[in-house]
Amino acid sequence: METGLNNRCAPHFRLLDEAQILRIYQSALRVLEEVGVRVNLSKAVDILAGNGARVKDKNVVEIPSFLVEAAVQSAPSNVTLYNRKKEPAMELGGRRIYFGTGTDLPKTVDLVTREIRDTKADDIVASTVISDAAPNIDFVASYGLPRDIPPGLHYIRCFQLEVENSVKPIFYTAGSLQDLQVILDMASAVVGGRQDLARYPFLVQYSEPTSPLTHSEEAVSKLICCAENRVPINYTPALLAGSTGPVTLAGALVVSVAEALSGLVIHQLVNKGAPIITGVVASSMDMLKATISYTAPEFRLTHSAYADLFHYLGLPIWGTAGCSDSQFPDLQAGAEYGFTLLNAALDGCNLIHDCGYIGQGFVASPEMILFADEVIAMVKRYMRGFEVDDEHLAMDVIRKVGPGGHFLSEKHTLDHFRKEHWRPAFFNRENLPNWIKKGKKTVDQKLIEKALEILKTHKPEPLAQAVKGKLDAIWTEAEKKIRR
Amino acid sequence: MDIIKEIYDAVMEGKVDDAASLVQQALNSKAEVNDILNKGLIGAMDVVGEKFGEGELFIPQVLWSAKAMQAGMDLLKPLFSSTNHTEKGTVVIGTAKGDIHDIGKNLVAIMLEGSGFKVADLGVDVTPERFVEKAIEVKADVIAMSALLTTTMPSMGEVVSLIKAKKLPFKVIVGGAPLDQAFCQEIGADAYGMDAADGLRKIKGLLGR
Repeated sequence: METGLNNRCAPHFRLLDEAQILRIYQSALRVLEEVGVRVNLSKAVDILAGNGARVKDKNVVEIPSFLVEAAVQSAPSNVTLYNRKKEPAMELGGRRIYFGTGTDLPKTVDLVTREIRDTKADDIVASTVISDAAPNIDFVASYGLPRDIPPGLHYIRCFQLEVENSVKPIFYTAGSLQDLQVILDMASAVVGGRQDLARYPFLVQYSEPTSPLTHSEEAVSKLICCAENRVPINYTPALLAGSTGPVTLAGALVVSVAEALSGLVIHQLVNKGAPIITGVVASSMDMLKATISYTAPEFRLTHSAYADLFHYLGLPIWGTAGCSDSQFPDLQAGAEYGFTLLNAALDGCNLIHDCGYIGQGFVASPEMILFADEVIAMVKRYMRGFEVDDEHLAMDVIRKVGPGGHFLSEKHTLDHFRKEHWRPAFFNRENLPNWIKKGKKTVDQKLIEKALEILKTHKPEPLAQAVKGKLDAIWTEAEKKIRR
Repeated sequence: MDIIKEIYDAVMEGKVDDAASLVQQALNSKAEVNDILNKGLIGAMDVVGEKFGEGELFIPQVLWSAKAMQAGMDLLKPLFSSTNHTEKGTVVIGTAKGDIHDIGKNLVAIMLEGSGFKVADLGVDVTPERFVEKAIEVKADVIAMSALLTTTMPSMGEVVSLIKAKKLPFKVIVGGAPLDQAFCQEIGADAYGMDAADGLRKIKGLLGR
């Protein structure tokens, strides 16, 4: 027998070497010790101060390295997310990759009219149903920000519509501690109480510190609430190199990593071992247009860099991909989806969000969720690599067929063609005459048709009637309390 | 289950050994030979061909169904007298002169055989004269030619000219990636197959079967 062989090859990619990781990490630790972070919630300041941090003037807290190192130690390296039915769905950790949509897009490209209009509550249902049907979308998010729901209530409504229309784990935002509490009440009603919610979490709160180096009252309140309830939170800053952070990529990383780690410290001081997912956005601000790029190559570099750093620290990692700066689903969007999804997969990020985004985080176009699904399938096949063992080296069948024969009718071909070769669901591989005969459909036409078909035919597994009733009651109560 | 239906299923699923043993079993139990052939073997293969054309079956699956069908046919053949043709028709097939690309041609040949046609495969780089000689020899119904290289396309026209000059009864079908319906008409061929499944469909159409 041959020995010492690895029978599978697969693409792998690292941007930083260990010395570079440590240099960025230690710079972030120095920022926390020497510059500090502003924490706009006295409860959080007190927790930090009580554990050895030094409070400077006006809520600015200098955090010693030992607190960061302790938080990295106590934070779980793996967070299991369940689906609505308490079945394990995602193991966030290691280099396992999962994909889902993002939240809060105020505009929507209408599936039928193709006009860009305000997002409505119906769009939340539609994107959830499409995400539920899409095989490579692992978790759902609101995707849109519904303009026909009053502010203060729309996050609650979004969560309710999502949980009613998909069994998949939910990535959700909340405006304040108040609506977060309502959402957690709803989630508890679904699984049967707060204890079960902590045991079988099927949701991840998405909250952000504000660059540079500031924890807003709302953000840190949500952070503490999730820690106390031991429900997962994704606490990740979005920094713009050159405006809310240094213009250089290394500097942007140092600041954003310091922000994320200081959030981790507060979170773990509140409740050691509570589930948290870490990451950053350190992207470019376009200095001509004053817009934020979701797909700049510099963003992809910082994405790979922070992934290497947080892998090194053994923390579950958030990612951003399957999104575009273009205002309409076009060639630019296609290129940006391909580039970012491959990049995020190579980075080994666990919770990759924003699939289906266009318009720099402002525009939804529901069929693009299916486009992301297609690219994810392609990327996953690429990431799987291939086997290099005797069966796959195929010497026997090569000998059998010989020069000039063909492999089409060989058993070896029949045995392997399905697993070895990926087939697209939407991308065209039709020959020219067949493509013309079938109506010259481009991929965007096929995606729109499929999205409309899913909306007509896909019936997500319904919530139990009793649970649905409880959610309706919580909604009615919230409407009374919050609307005023 | 009905033995004919079992044969049909074995062919649909490309189970070569099962198809053969089921046909033998059917013969032992004095099942109608025509039913085994037409309702079982060929009936299944017709559906396989259609499903492939509609993108529901993959090439390797079609080929294994064809093998299963052949395995059954081999047991039936001795039962038919030489005058009693089991074939749907006879096709002479090859890659046109100057070209050695044969994967598409092979695919059509296998599907034809699988559908009950008798196939004389001349291989690659076949001269126009050779196509015609062979067609006369085997009393062919159809000459099927394939090309991948554009440079070899003119030799297909020569086959049509030869047939017309000698007033021979053969139908001509052409196929291959660079060809189209316009080229087919230009050289005076009877049909153009845009892919293997379409080729099979067109040949059946030419022969009215």
